[in-house]
Amino acid sequence: VRCQLSLPQRALQASAVLRRVSDEQKEPLSSSSQQQFDSHPTDQQPDKEPQGPRPSYTGQGGQESEDYESEEQLQHRILTAALEFVPEHGWTAEAIAEGAKTLGLSGAAAGMFHSDGSELILHFVSQCNAKLSELLEQEQKRVQLGEAEKKPTDQFLKDAVEARLRMLIPYIDKWPQAVSILLLPHNIPSSLNLLTSMIDEIWHYAGDQSTDFNWYTRRAVLTGIYNTTELVMMQDSSPDFEDTWRFLENRVADAMNMGNTANQVQSTGEAVVQGLMGAAVTVSNAETSSAVR
Amino acid sequence: AAAGLYPCRTLLAHRAGALRALCGSVRGLAVGPDTHFGFQTVTEAERREKIYQVFESVAKKYDIMNDSMTLGIHRVWKDILVHKMNPSPGTLLLDVAGGTGDIAFRFINYVRSVRERQLQRKLKHHQSLTWQEISESYQEDKSKSLGDSQVVVCDINKEMLKVGKQKAQYLGYSEGLSWVLGNAEELPFDDDKFDVYTIAFGIRNVTRIDLALEEAYRVLKPGGRFLCLEFSHVSNPLLSRLYDLYSFQVIPVLGEVIAGDWKSYQYLVESIRRFPPQEELKAMIEDAGFFKVDYQNINSGIVAIHSGFKL
Repeated sequence: VRCQLSLPQRALQASAVLRRVSDEQKEPLSSSSQQQFDSHPTDQQPDKEPQGPRPSYTGQGGQESEDYESEEQLQHRILTAALEFVPEHGWTAEAIAEGAKTLGLSGAAAGMFHSDGSELILHFVSQCNAKLSELLEQEQKRVQLGEAEKKPTDQFLKDAVEARLRMLIPYIDKWPQAVSILLLPHNIPSSLNLLTSMIDEIWHYAGDQSTDFNWYTRRAVLTGIYNTTELVMMQDSSPDFEDTWRFLENRVADAMNMGNTANQVQSTGEAVVQGLMGAAVTVSNAETSSAVR
Repeated sequence: AAAGLYPCRTLLAHRAGALRALCGSVRGLAVGPDTHFGFQTVTEAERREKIYQVFESVAKKYDIMNDSMTLGIHRVWKDILVHKMNPSPGTLLLDVAGGTGDIAFRFINYVRSVRERQLQRKLKHHQSLTWQEISESYQEDKSKSLGDSQVVVCDINKEMLKVGKQKAQYLGYSEGLSWVLGNAEELPFDDDKFDVYTIAFGIRNVTRIDLALEEAYRVLKPGGRFLCLEFSHVSNPLLSRLYDLYSFQVIPVLGEVIAGDWKSYQYLVESIRRFPPQEELKAMIEDAGFFKVDYQNINSGIVAIHSGFKL
């Protein structure tokens, strides 16, 4: 579930709101918004037409004519605006109400969302995942153009996880609350979806092309690393979270070693089995010869 | 608006009903188009007058009747409505057909408790305060216990407003509350003023529902929410039969015994049957311009809360 953040097209209400929004527009993905704007199918003309009374032909349920912003896009805008109030109010309907107010809407618009703040958290997570994909893609481009060296796998994984976790830093105080809400039964499908697709992304850019059981093991291992590091981060009080990054490095190193250890175990196992077979043959030969005698 | 000409169970008004049926479709005539009053067919003007009289006569016993008819469950319904609204301090509420103030009082209670929690949280964060700051925070409590939230109760009926004001005085609600005489079809307020518009058990009595919905859209701020709590249609057949039995056999009798007014409560149960069902009301709300319109059935459809946003 990736959130396509597009520049605000037309607000549903009078253009007073739209003007205000485009003035204070602070897109976090300003570099990427160009790219997304091009790929977004419903491009709008930049000029605003006078907003008369809403024409009655615009259907409900997101089937508006392409001149109008859809409800979903407005919801995304509200949630994005609400993020700056999270450190103060937590992941709650209050933060969403404050966010709506900055867009010029009444605080009652927060009633569009679930009162436990789930949508706000899911929105934030998918935004972070989108940012991460951005970063990874740009890095890949740089490698392809020869501007940067290709990193070894463990370094790559460590950097990717660190970059993703750093996005939590502004909200780290309220993040435990967010995690607990994401674990609520009705949120688990969406949050699990977001998590697995993020891990998938990271492995994809790390150059994983496995088609066998390794695919699952790799993802399970990285999910474990990510989740444990996240938990460590939440109670880390060292400057710039250095304890967390060290923990992360150790876990990634463990995972790499695990691969080698598995091979070693296998070859040791084979050697042991051969030894046993040899011993068995020797013993049976000795018995046969003694029986014959 | 329903020009109700349903043949079955229609008692034609005892005044030249046939003649009115002829010129009923032409607007602008003194008699006005036809509509329904319970299971009767009357003109719009007549309907407004009759409904005014109904509420004028029941005003004093309104709350008692509510409790006895619904066995007190109406309190739960109204609590659910305010919970769904989840108002934050600073919200401006317009309660139309709010009569005796049930929704308004609940709103004030809710906002007060939210405000208290907010202040407690703020105090918890400030670990080391000076005595000056602490005393200032106590003063703030006294003056802003509602956090600038306000509710305007609007009703077309003077008697109902009178009862509401008396109740407010008796229960001790004074700040953040105002009482306005007004018609839901033509509200005496400016555009884009309110955060939330509620109408609890009132829209059924409005003669032109579409006008009321348009007025609701007009007075709401962009992003504002429309909430409607109303009796609706029960789909479960068994429950529906029991409900009908209770409505037509028990409620008018209660009305006669407690309030001395059979006819008004007969009107009440008939008007519930005449009211559009959930999906139809949802379509009407969408027509008025609201987005994200949805409804929530309570008690499997006996009561429904419709919600829409002005986006």
